[in-house]
Amino acid sequence: MSSHDQNHPINNDTSDENTTHFGFQTVEKNEKESKVASVFHSVAQQYDVMNDLMSFGIHRLWKRFTIDASGVRPGNKVLDLAGGTGDLTAKFSKLVGREGKVILADINSSMLNVGRDKLRDLGLVQNIEYVQANAQYLPFEDNTFDIITIAFGLRNVTDKDMALRSMYRVLKPGGRLLVLEFSKPEHELVNKAYDFYSFNILPKIGELVAKDGDSYQYLAESIRMHPDQDTLKTMMDAAGFEQTGFKNLTGGVVALHKGYKF
Amino acid sequence: MPQTISQQLMFAQTLSAILETVINQFLGYNLHGIRALKPLSEKTLTIKLAELPFPLSFTVIDEKIYVSSNDAPNDCCLITSISSLIELKKEQQLTDLIKKDKLDIQGDLKVAQRFADIAQTLDIDWQSELAKRIGDIPAYKLGQLGRKLLKTLNFAGTKIQADASEWLIHQKRLIITAAEMSYFNHDVEDVEQQVSALSQRLDKLTKHISKLS
Ligand SMILES: C[S@@+](CC[C@H](N)C(=O)[O-])C[C@H]1O[C@@H](n2cnc3c(N)ncnc32)[C@H](O)[C@@H]1O
Repeated sequence: MSSHDQNHPINNDTSDENTTHFGFQTVEKNEKESKVASVFHSVAQQYDVMNDLMSFGIHRLWKRFTIDASGVRPGNKVLDLAGGTGDLTAKFSKLVGREGKVILADINSSMLNVGRDKLRDLGLVQNIEYVQANAQYLPFEDNTFDIITIAFGLRNVTDKDMALRSMYRVLKPGGRLLVLEFSKPEHELVNKAYDFYSFNILPKIGELVAKDGDSYQYLAESIRMHPDQDTLKTMMDAAGFEQTGFKNLTGGVVALHKGYKF
Repeated sequence: MPQTISQQLMFAQTLSAILETVINQFLGYNLHGIRALKPLSEKTLTIKLAELPFPLSFTVIDEKIYVSSNDAPNDCCLITSISSLIELKKEQQLTDLIKKDKLDIQGDLKVAQRFADIAQTLDIDWQSELAKRIGDIPAYKLGQLGRKLLKTLNFAGTKIQADASEWLIHQKRLIITAAEMSYFNHDVEDVEQQVSALSQRLDKLTKHISKLS
């Protein structure tokens, strides 16, 4: 789908009860999960290299911003949901110290394996656990975590509202959720440039470096179909989060949403 | 609170990332530095500069120094401003600055001193390190600032401990009266206003620059 519609509506709801989006395609809900799975099985090995390449390394700053905003303290219990190759987990593991704990959870075994190997190579073993889990059905007790982060993960989840409710359930009272995700650039010019980059350049880099243009085409499309800043905030409110708000980063290319459970 | 451009461009995170990378690179070359980290394990030094809209916190974890721009709980906090540091031509002026409330050190002095020791051991040429990453002119300015900060920390560590009486004058002032509190609150509001004016100005300048380029 290379000749995409430049005026595609963000968050247009062409899906009915049984269908959802897979990039710009409308697919059956139960089909999305396996399609997303195959994307991440196929990009897992090159994921970190591609991340640096495609974002010019800026994803590191977005993640740093997230850590700074999390208010993490020694002894905290943190869930890095859709944590993939574990960038956030690595940093959290240091910051929560020996008394704390970080759980790296992801639905995809390939991503988890790459993450586990990477973190072990970094010598991080003490306070990290790995759990294969779907964000919609988190296998943890109520009121377990001080902090939950989901970075560039929510847009891949089939039922986002359900996932947000599940996160709310497992957060401790006083705990907070941080959603780092691509969003809607504030200025039209940035939006246009970004569109051009995502649909013309990004899949080409994907093709050249990772030999996998289709997966990167999906990534670009899924970014556009993800709810914009205000919509996501409303969804978090609806799931029960309080004091919700967001910060735009890099002109709104990415936004960090935060909400509390009280 | 409206978001400023410097927030959007993650200036705080960029700065802390650069500091963290350079410091740990130098620590990597320097066994003595790493040894010096031991007693500082899990200790945090925070530096708050009036001109910077965010604090900088340095935490030692497992032979590395992590830099963050959030207001984490700390073991020692140095509060001052770039302009006071510039005033600091001679070390003797340090106690003056403290008396005039232009410099405040809260918490465990030893922590500040140890961090200063490490900084000295590493002897990082900030100017050339930063120039590689952000260009010559800002590097020059930041380099100057770094030297001043280091000088302050060092001096605070040695001089104040030696000169306990001077220090006590400062310590005594921790007992505050209601009137002082209200002055303080007023000052905080003042600083808030100044910071917000400064960030608005930064925004304007950034917009102006982006129009020019
Ligand atoms: C783009 S990666 C982000 C990885 C990492 N958080 C980062 O920022 O580098 C998205 C991750 O979301 C995971 N994911 C997709 N759907 C999920 C679901 N329903 N539950 C949990 N994880 C999911 C994928 O397997 C993938 O690892």
